[in-house]
Amino acid sequence: MTSREKIQQEIESTLQSLDGVKRAEANPFLFTRIKARMNKKANGWEDAFSFISRPIIAVAILVIVMAVNGWALWDSGSAGTGITADPTASFSELANEYNTVASVNNYDYENMTNE
Amino acid sequence: MINETELIERLKLGDDVAFKTIVEQWQDMVYNTILGIVQNETEAEDLAQDVFIKVFEKVSTFKGDSKFSTWLYRIATTTALDHLRSKKRKKRFGFLQSLTGDGGDEKEQIPDFHHPGVNLDNKERATVLFKAIESLPDNQKAAYTLHKLEGLSYRDVSEVLNTTVSAVESLMSRANQNLRKQLEEYYNRHYR
Repeated sequence: MTSREKIQQEIESTLQSLDGVKRAEANPFLFTRIKARMNKKANGWEDAFSFISRPIIAVAILVIVMAVNGWALWDSGSAGTGITADPTASFSELANEYNTVASVNNYDYENMTNE
Repeated sequence: MINETELIERLKLGDDVAFKTIVEQWQDMVYNTILGIVQNETEAEDLAQDVFIKVFEKVSTFKGDSKFSTWLYRIATTTALDHLRSKKRKKRFGFLQSLTGDGGDEKEQIPDFHHPGVNLDNKERATVLFKAIESLPDNQKAAYTLHKLEGLSYRDVSEVLNTTVSAVESLMSRANQNLRKQLEEYYNRHYR
């Protein structure tokens, strides 16, 4: 028998190797496992986690976080120019609001007046 | 013994006993179909679980136009093929990662698959055949697995794959041609 014939014979035998194959049996505890998964799924966490861990969602979240960070940085840079020249102004405004004398600070007890 | 229609009606109402009966009645069929396609026992078990969870969730959409077993085969086949596609995508992503040096450079070693239902005399040959089946296009793989492993007729396969009998004949013929080609290459390498 030539090697070519031998190869052809092997091919035929291989193609027939699944003839009469028996059905593979599933795990006898399959139903228990299914129920366990369904209960776990009912808690919702698995769904939420699997949704977040999807590559497209994870990348989208990352892009949004980076965009928010970038915007926050840009905004704080431009907001700096809008700060009033007098840094004590806001303190004075607060003091006035609480009806205290602006010229008196917490350490100036001698000049304090009783109103 | 409850008949199939009643079981399905009870499952639609969320009856746990009906669900258990359905799982126990069809688990081997679903598992064997998936196992033939994914060729991995652990993955096949997880996917069989997925299939039955889908059945429980989607049974309300089953109108009874086809046999329940056909509907089950359809879900099992689609789930298994989707899993293979997702694995392929991950593999491609891993390859890209290895190119950029971000890990994923370890080449995954796929062990030979031994179907538990193959008799001992044919074990080695069946392993070679499963390796060749792995390289078939999805629709050929599904048709071949349903026909050879589950013993479905071409008509039943056509109902599962939602196509015509002649289309299944064509799929099987092309699958056989492709397998012969693969096997010829394999045996040429091993008999040289």
